[in-house]
Amino acid sequence: MNNERQIPKDSVLHRVLDAVDLETFLVCDSETEGKGLALRLLRELGFADGDIVSIAYNGVGVRVRLRGTLYKPGDEYHWDKDVAEE
Amino acid sequence: MSEKKNLLLVPFDPVHDVGIRLVGQRLKARGHRVTVLPPDLPASEVVKRAQQDRYDHILIGRTMGYGVAQVLGRLVDQLEAAGLRQKCSLVLGGKAVTPELAAELGFDAGFPPTSNVEAILAYVEGKPLDDAAGALKRKKRDITEKYSYEWRHAEIGRLLETLAEEAVAWSEGVTSPGIERAELRRAMLEDPENKERILADYIRLCDDLIAGHYRSGAPVGRTRIMSDSEVRILERLKVALPTRRLQHSDHHPLCIFFAGSGCPVMDVAHTMVADGWGVDGMILVDPSWNARVEGMMEGYVAQEEDGTVVTGDNVALMKKYINPDLYFQVRFHRGLNTAEYSVYAEHYGIDFGKINPCYGSLHGGTDPERLVADGLYGMRAAARGGFPFDMPGNDELSGTPPGQTFAGMLVAAAIGRRLGARPVLKPLLCYSPYAMLHGQMDSNFIDYNYGKIKALQSILDAPVWCGEPVGFNTHEDDRSQSATTTALHALLADAVGAEALTFASTDESYSRGPIVMASRIDTINSIRTAFRFLGDASITPTAKAEEYRDRVTEEIHQALQCAVEKGGFVKGLYEGCFGDVSVGAKPGRSGRNTVRKK
Repeated sequence: MNNERQIPKDSVLHRVLDAVDLETFLVCDSETEGKGLALRLLRELGFADGDIVSIAYNGVGVRVRLRGTLYKPGDEYHWDKDVAEE
Repeated sequence: MSEKKNLLLVPFDPVHDVGIRLVGQRLKARGHRVTVLPPDLPASEVVKRAQQDRYDHILIGRTMGYGVAQVLGRLVDQLEAAGLRQKCSLVLGGKAVTPELAAELGFDAGFPPTSNVEAILAYVEGKPLDDAAGALKRKKRDITEKYSYEWRHAEIGRLLETLAEEAVAWSEGVTSPGIERAELRRAMLEDPENKERILADYIRLCDDLIAGHYRSGAPVGRTRIMSDSEVRILERLKVALPTRRLQHSDHHPLCIFFAGSGCPVMDVAHTMVADGWGVDGMILVDPSWNARVEGMMEGYVAQEEDGTVVTGDNVALMKKYINPDLYFQVRFHRGLNTAEYSVYAEHYGIDFGKINPCYGSLHGGTDPERLVADGLYGMRAAARGGFPFDMPGNDELSGTPPGQTFAGMLVAAAIGRRLGARPVLKPLLCYSPYAMLHGQMDSNFIDYNYGKIKALQSILDAPVWCGEPVGFNTHEDDRSQSATTTALHALLADAVGAEALTFASTDESYSRGPIVMASRIDTINSIRTAFRFLGDASITPTAKAEEYRDRVTEEIHQALQCAVEKGGFVKGLYEGCFGDVSVGAKPGRSGRNTVRKK
């Protein structure tokens, strides 16, 4: 798993088939700034393995699709892991 | 048949009552007594009407929105005050309704609009929901059966028969290490008790890389062998039962997607999910490096790059877990293991193969003579195994004009036809580099795609499967754009009368990682929406499409004449009849000088 150190043992994230995508709009002054903010957002959310799938700046900010990868193909999968109930 | 229920249906919505009426029709058809109130009655009137008979269930239909929860809560309170709560159950259904929300509001059950009607019926009748009820009943059909495989263009047909006859005669007198390994693999599959003895001969015909894999178990490149216990994670995935097709009308093409994440387990997981969304099949995409080594690995091989290594164990794993109602294609169109892949395809009973000596040799890096020899071996396997094979026109993506691409495709089709196989034409629906340079698609993406496919269809009566994926080179990284372009190209595939199409995902232009399932679902939903939108209507090209059809037909003619003049298919490949370096085509070097006379 790609974010093992950051993810708690009983986290629901173990049940993600492959990745979590986050679609959002970030207010910023340039695409460069937007990229930096986007990647920081992924880190703040606990994804060490993340990427920007798409980004488009329009003057107000960036429309962005972020991806936090939990399992890459060929990883050891824990889709059946017991996760704590709330 | 269960006991008949007495039901009151209440469209408690100022405008929308279609949903509850449709449910009412199904309930009536099951023999239940159904009373449907007029829409938008005040709560007090609903209560009054509910008291006029003894109902088993009161079904309320309502779209959720601002303030609606309070309105519904008051209705429940009034029904309770009238003593009806004790006598019957209250059921809520409608847009944005969830079972949890319905329970909070005091209802006994809640059904969102995506609910399977079978679930509502089961509830009303007091029976456990049969998971299989309402599931889509799919039946694989032979997409080649209605085609005659007759030549529709006499002169081009004559040229193709000449080339096919020469190629088949030539192939009968030659062999290659790939063919010899294929025969040994066949022997190992048919006689597993003697596998170790046969394997020794097999290893001698392999590259050092693959030989090392057998001798020491060493991984090849960035691959690893997954263990039995690892692949058993698939047992824990619940089988998806699709309830909706992608197609709205019967003539809409079958929808097949690519799998080739690098990991057979992830491929199966994606296929199981996609199955639940109504796709028709899957293509196993193998990595390009696999095409350049002599010899195939064994085991549940996974790798960290694009493309899942084809091994017998990986194919068997997929056959084990993938719904047998889905079409399953294994490709053997471009490399040094073409012949052996075809042995696995035949052994495991896959639905489609893929062979195209023209593309594989001029753009896939394999020597033309070698790929024609091995490719014809694969076509014979397809004929014996009774599965069709397709021939992708991927050469267009390198810059080769469709006339030359299709000429090569048609030669492969003619050869397959002669060998008793059933070839499927696989032109691309794409924004090709050739069209970018010469402007055929400046106005729209319809006319040139449409015209070139009509050229093919004017030559041979054979099925067309548009690939691969449709809309190639039109995808951007924005998910809605990507989903839209696939959906529009799906409509174009329908317009040309394609039997099937291959589709991508909204990750099509994302190259820094594998395709994720959510992105596949984006595209699946977009195709379904497009087919529903179009139904039995169609896309109509402009008059330019006919001009393109005629031009491409003439280009095909010229390419085939060239090959005949040069002395045959193999010579034609080497001598540029099917494309040369000016259009991105170059005879490959892998396997050069490995074909020998028997």
